[in-house]
Amino acid sequence: MSEQKQKPSGLSSRLKNTLDFLFPFLVIGILWEILVRTGVIQLHSLPAPSTLLVKFWELAFVNGILWKHLFSSLYRLFAGYLLAVFIGTAIGALLAQNQVAHDMFEPTLNLLMSVPTIAWIPIFLITLGLGDKTVIMAIFTSSFFAITYNTMRGIEMIDKSIVNAAHLMGLRGLHLFLEVLLPASMLSIINGLRLAIGYAWRALVGGELLAAMIEWGLGKMVYQARYFNDASVMLLGLLIIGFTGYLLDRVFLTILERNTVEKWGMAVKK
Amino acid sequence: MDPIIQIQDLYKTFTENGKELVALDHINLDIPRNQFTVLIGPSGCGKTTLLNTMAGFEKATSGKILLDGKPILKPAPDRGYVFQDYALFPWLTVLGNITFGLTHNGWEKKEAEEKARDYINLVNLQGFEEAYPHTLSGGMKQRVAIARALAYNPEVLLMDEPFGALDAQTRKHMQRELVKILEKEQKTVVFVTHSVIEAVFLADLVVVMTARPGKVKGIVKIDLPRNRSYVEDHYLHYREQILELLEEEVEKGFED
Amino acid sequence: MKRKTLLAILPIFIFLLGWEVSARLEWVNPVLFPAPSAIISELVDLFEKGLPAHSELINHTLATLKRLGIGFSVGVLAGIFMGVLMGLSNPVFHFFNPLILVLMSIPGIALAPLFIIWLGFGDPTIITLGALSTFFPVVYSTTTGVRSVDKQMVRAAQIMGATPLQVIMSVYIPWSAAFVFNGVKLGLVRGWMTVIAVEFVAASNYGLGYMIWYATERLKADVVYAGILVMILIYFILDKLLIENVEKKTIARWGMISQKQDG
Ligand SMILES: Nc1ncnc2c1ncn2[C@@H]1O[C@H](COP(=O)(O)OP(=O)(O)O)[C@@H](O)[C@H]1O
Ligand SMILES: [Mg+2]
Repeated sequence: MSEQKQKPSGLSSRLKNTLDFLFPFLVIGILWEILVRTGVIQLHSLPAPSTLLVKFWELAFVNGILWKHLFSSLYRLFAGYLLAVFIGTAIGALLAQNQVAHDMFEPTLNLLMSVPTIAWIPIFLITLGLGDKTVIMAIFTSSFFAITYNTMRGIEMIDKSIVNAAHLMGLRGLHLFLEVLLPASMLSIINGLRLAIGYAWRALVGGELLAAMIEWGLGKMVYQARYFNDASVMLLGLLIIGFTGYLLDRVFLTILERNTVEKWGMAVKK
Repeated sequence: MDPIIQIQDLYKTFTENGKELVALDHINLDIPRNQFTVLIGPSGCGKTTLLNTMAGFEKATSGKILLDGKPILKPAPDRGYVFQDYALFPWLTVLGNITFGLTHNGWEKKEAEEKARDYINLVNLQGFEEAYPHTLSGGMKQRVAIARALAYNPEVLLMDEPFGALDAQTRKHMQRELVKILEKEQKTVVFVTHSVIEAVFLADLVVVMTARPGKVKGIVKIDLPRNRSYVEDHYLHYREQILELLEEEVEKGFED
Repeated sequence: MKRKTLLAILPIFIFLLGWEVSARLEWVNPVLFPAPSAIISELVDLFEKGLPAHSELINHTLATLKRLGIGFSVGVLAGIFMGVLMGLSNPVFHFFNPLILVLMSIPGIALAPLFIIWLGFGDPTIITLGALSTFFPVVYSTTTGVRSVDKQMVRAAQIMGATPLQVIMSVYIPWSAAFVFNGVKLGLVRGWMTVIAVEFVAASNYGLGYMIWYATERLKADVVYAGILVMILIYFILDKLLIENVEKKTIARWGMISQKQDG
């Protein structure tokens, strides 16, 4: 009975939260519209929100270009990011199992993790060319170190008695990893995944913008608009970049968190 | 009797999730000057709320509290407060914490430090002037907190279960220390506890409160010399008296 | 201890040695992967001659540091100010928090095209974007810090006679220090990355980023590597000087371990 009561209130509170979140954008949008309409702002480089909406309609539903930009970006993001997730957790787990390997690579990892992402892009542009490979590699590199490092730390901090119990039950290798080590270190891994998605997003947009052979992608959408001095496309692109980047963290990782560590009681809800 | 604080028809409600909750229900109480008053009552009965209203941290819903005849509206340095979890500033040394109330009341830094040293001696913390709070034990932290609250010479010292977080041994020790300190330093003290033993050991006056909504259930005057022990007959007699008042309330509390 | 250091250096050493040998024996294309020794000698050359001809590495670096210095300082100060404001006032927080969360998800370089339209090429755009990139993480962390302040500590200060401004200065700010440092740390990375990246596209003739980009477009790999090496080294030095140093003297000494945050 209590469940039935909770569900609608949970849904409506989520709706209320969403509206609260959008409220300041609405206020600023309306103010800005008024300023443009009354002629206080008269700049070609600062179009009114209504102009942006018309542009959005055109790009999204008339010629559909917007989706092509968005999906190219998301494709690259997940290609690079998922590659980093799989390779990163695997290497992190290996490094955690072996003291010598740990001592050998921990400092290097720590060092590489704090190398500013932007440093990699010119290197990849030179060595991998001006296209997709460079962008995906930049995404991979920027997220890989954070994921590896946090997986390693997470597994190393697991209570030894849990691992011993698993050994006694005969778990070895991949089974041990998937059924014990991975869930037990989830808190730290998610921490790494969260850092990494932020890095990856920045690397993606930067990479798209700088790699000359790339035609599609949100970064490119913003960059190309400068040839037409089209501030409305730029603003639109930037808003989409901002919201998508925020939602990736918010939706994707929060869902992961809710279904793992929170369900298992390992993390307190924020 | 010359009350320093007069609580007149004090009524206090909180609103939580749209529901109104009465915390203090028309309390009338006089706090005698230069005496040790203990507030005791079942947990959740509003002791902290009452003390915080005296401090000026909380506002009365209706009714008022007078200090020397003037209404208390906000926190001010005519009162000192000792928190259960110390609330020391971790970024200040022991000396820095104790001078805080002085330098914020017009004292020159040098004189403030001299004064603070007197209080460091009073609470037996010589040698720890430059230590940061996180390096001290719980008992030592609470001594710093007491020195900090006394150093700027407030008229009233408000203490909210100050020894509640300490282990039994340290707690007894601190109770004796507090008695000694107050022998040297005449003060009006309002002290919250839920320990009857502590109340009888320390108090001149014990105010027993009812379960929520908090009211004054009864007042027990403790007529014992300052140098008390925990085993005297009289002492036990007072304990019985307070416990009796309390028990009815604890039972009531469970019926909620 | 010593064994650990040796082990730690080993992979880097092997990597550099392997690179050196493969480049010399031309197993890899030495134009794209110039040997580490060649990069070092290029670095020395750059210090002496510079590229392009009209400026030297030192000048490029100084130009970038000047831009970062202004942008970073403005970003940190504005961020702390705004963060305190948002931390203290619930309505201000609820209004600005969504804006900040969305805006901080936009990488600084993506803003470059728009700001070039608004402010033109060169210093104004680079410095503004450096400041913005620093600003967001600092606001975010400061806000979190101020909102988490221990109410009892505020009350303790109030009853001892601190005025509202004094409470902010003597309780809210030091309490939030651990959070602010985290924000400043992230702000430094973001600011540094943005300044360099925006120099790629918006610098007219000076700056480390300008130099790296100039060389990238001309496939001068040794200059690219050398420039990036300098960029990373400077970042590490700044991080040590500006943040770790201050941290040691403050929150570490106060026993307030710096909280981990995402960003
Ligand atoms: N800020 C607050 N908001 C809502 N309810 C409160 C608040 N402070 C106290 N209460 C409620 O008021 C009652 C009295 O609390 P308190 O004074 O802390 O009791 P005590 O100190 O005697 O244990 C409790 O039921 C508590 O839940
Ligand atoms: Mg209480």
